[in-house]
Amino acid sequence: MKNKLITYLAAFIFLILLNFFLPRLMPGDPLLAIYGQEAALTLSEEMKKELISEMGLDRPLPVQFGLYLTALLHGDLGVSYSLNASVWSVVGRTLPWTLLLVGSALILSTFLGIILGIESGWHKGVKRDRWILFLVIGVSGLPNFIMAVILLLVFGVQLGWFPLGGALTPYSGWTGIQLVGDVARHLVLPVTALTLAQLSETVLLTRSSMLGSLDSLYIRTAVGKGLKKYRIKYGHAGRNSLLPVTARLGVSAGRAIAGALFVEVVFAYPGMGSLTHHALLSRDYPLLQGIFLVMALTIVLANILADRLAFRLDPRLRED
Amino acid sequence: MLGMKDRKMVWWLLVLLISGLLFTGCSNGADQPADSRKPEEVIPVYTIADAAGDWGFPSPWGHYQRGPGYIRMSLIFDTLVWKDDQGLVPALASEWSYDQDNKTYTFVLKDNILWHDGQKLTAEDVVFTFAYIKQHPYAWGDLSSVAQVSSEGEQTVKITLNSNFAPFLNNVAATVPIIPQHIWDKVEEPGKFTELSAVVGSGPFRYVDYNKEQGTYLYQANDQYYGGKVLVQELKFIKANPQMAAASLSRGEVNAAALQPEMAGQLQDKYTIIQEAGSSNVKLMFNHLEEPLADKEFRQALAYAIDKEDLVAKAQRGYGVKGNPGIYAPGNRWYAGDAVQYDPNGQKVQELMTELGYELVASEGRANPSWTKDGQEVKLNILCDSDLIRVAEVLQERLATAGFSLEIQSVEVKVRDTKILSWDFDLALNSHGGLGGDPEILSKFILVGDFNSARYDQNPHLVELIQKQKTIMDEDERKEMVQQIQKLYAEDVPVLTLYYPNSYWAHDGKIPLYYTSEGIAIGVPIPLNKLSFVQ
Repeated sequence: MKNKLITYLAAFIFLILLNFFLPRLMPGDPLLAIYGQEAALTLSEEMKKELISEMGLDRPLPVQFGLYLTALLHGDLGVSYSLNASVWSVVGRTLPWTLLLVGSALILSTFLGIILGIESGWHKGVKRDRWILFLVIGVSGLPNFIMAVILLLVFGVQLGWFPLGGALTPYSGWTGIQLVGDVARHLVLPVTALTLAQLSETVLLTRSSMLGSLDSLYIRTAVGKGLKKYRIKYGHAGRNSLLPVTARLGVSAGRAIAGALFVEVVFAYPGMGSLTHHALLSRDYPLLQGIFLVMALTIVLANILADRLAFRLDPRLRED
Repeated sequence: MLGMKDRKMVWWLLVLLISGLLFTGCSNGADQPADSRKPEEVIPVYTIADAAGDWGFPSPWGHYQRGPGYIRMSLIFDTLVWKDDQGLVPALASEWSYDQDNKTYTFVLKDNILWHDGQKLTAEDVVFTFAYIKQHPYAWGDLSSVAQVSSEGEQTVKITLNSNFAPFLNNVAATVPIIPQHIWDKVEEPGKFTELSAVVGSGPFRYVDYNKEQGTYLYQANDQYYGGKVLVQELKFIKANPQMAAASLSRGEVNAAALQPEMAGQLQDKYTIIQEAGSSNVKLMFNHLEEPLADKEFRQALAYAIDKEDLVAKAQRGYGVKGNPGIYAPGNRWYAGDAVQYDPNGQKVQELMTELGYELVASEGRANPSWTKDGQEVKLNILCDSDLIRVAEVLQERLATAGFSLEIQSVEVKVRDTKILSWDFDLALNSHGGLGGDPEILSKFILVGDFNSARYDQNPHLVELIQKQKTIMDEDERKEMVQQIQKLYAEDVPVLTLYYPNSYWAHDGKIPLYYTSEGIAIGVPIPLNKLSFVQ
């Protein structure tokens, strides 16, 4: 566990270094590289000078790095010129929506994936297994944003069951349970798109470890003891098949966050994905870097959490 | 069951949504006659969809600098004069006049104008606004032409200019939002002033709410509006993908939205479609500082080799208007129809190139002969970004048959802009808006400026005319001069306007939306003029 933490720390330091050096190593004026040509042109000479001295761009690199780190420790990610606000405040407002979206999708895809994986492994080779595999693999073959578009067109545009975008109905005046319901209704399609994209990995992983477990002696013992089928399936074999899935959870979280970037754009969902899209279009470099850093940090944290979870589930890891 | 048309629409949506993930453009527009049919009864709620949603807190210093930000502010704050689809109309000022000898504009304010908080708006507020903006620069208020502002009594304002400045009414009087002195005189940092009182204006709508992360705005009709009855009780701006505009309209969730060009045809039976072209352009920039493009004749030869209509058809899928080498699009009131058009003409290319000492030489492995001089084949690079790569490809193909070999260099936009700024290119493709406003832009796009400008000052006559037209207060005289500029510019062709992309809006007809003559304020081509919402 300690070694792992060191790895994560190293990864994080690398990300910070990358974030710091990338704009500064680009040819030309670093102020232009950080703020972009368009912004730099709208800045007055005075403002440029102020920014240069504020960021220490006229000082040696180590000093600049010191200033950058101090600012970071104070939660100062710079200013987004296109949104006229501090990067942190913008990111802070959108991150919860992405966490809600990605979190729901991860929980759903893990839960569903495990059940389908167990069923598929238990019924290996028979019709049910083949159907599950066919559907799961078929669905995951589609990139998540295509899936999002299809869901939106079918259930949003044609059938009209769900909203066409956004995270809630603007100015509905709803509160309490009605508001929760509204948010949930807006969440259904994007979460489904993300869940479907994530599903196959979990299903296949659970299925293969299920197949391994089913051959084990403790399963035969359980069968021999005359235990009920569902207890063997879920309580014995299934439980052990959870381990590889939890171990992969960190990686899945990273993938889901990346996937959310596209899905959010399709559904105009006000999260980090839409924000990234905006930052790219308006070439708001400080914003992009802030998003990059926060996303990376989130993914590192998700990995740490997944490790902790695996650690709790598997006594063997604790003995190590 | 879905009809044929609906199914077709769904397919279009699929294509658009997927392509929309890869690129997003901005909407533009500017001339369509207004519909005089206004609703008899007040509409309870009117909702406008917008792709980006968030355009900043709608105070003058809070909104983002681009057009949609200004529009949201303009619904709350009024200016001295305003524009409708025909031209200038009274706003806070009922009348105005210009005294050429003293270089002074006199504005007479209307009676009984109230701020949203009930206080009376007076000439003092106008004087204060100009002084405040001089102290706290506002991106949409370039007051460099203004020498002095004073009031005479409660209703008269005198604005003295440094020198005659023809764009004043458009770019200052119809652009600068007047702010209440009793609120702003205590504000030191206007950018950070986001309290409710920061959005107390005198316009047709009162501010109710702005939500940055959802990208939504909620306004309410100002029942005491001096300009007439406000036709919409609640005005909402919501964020929605432009690809969903059609579906949102048909569900009745929005009343108006910008459209992808492909959707316009599908929707025209059910909704009112308004179209605009000419406020933005795609242009081919020449590096006129270096050989061979420093030769005017060489640039002209290239211009004659390009088929702009073919370009519109292939690169813009037909949704655009062929470019006028004199900058302005046909339909713009400053447009000079007699500027040289460079319609494709192989013979002209031959003549011009031969005159310059080039000859067409066939080379092995090439389908077409190339222009060659002193054993050197003409090879040009063409700089573009990923958005314009299709244009570059069409040009490459076309020019190859005319003997010019192009090498496409597609780079990230910022890199392209830097390269254009440092003249590190032969040919470059660029696109920008801002063509709809006052001809003051001519200086910005021809003489000086950034990567959007030709930065061409080699023709002293052209330079002189561009400087001079700004000071001509007689409109006809100025128009003549602006047309002369276009002719000279087209003749020298330091940049070739290739085409003007179309932009579209669809609405349900409840409010007759229109594109403002010469754009809102300094030229915003968005059909959301506040006067559409007022009886």
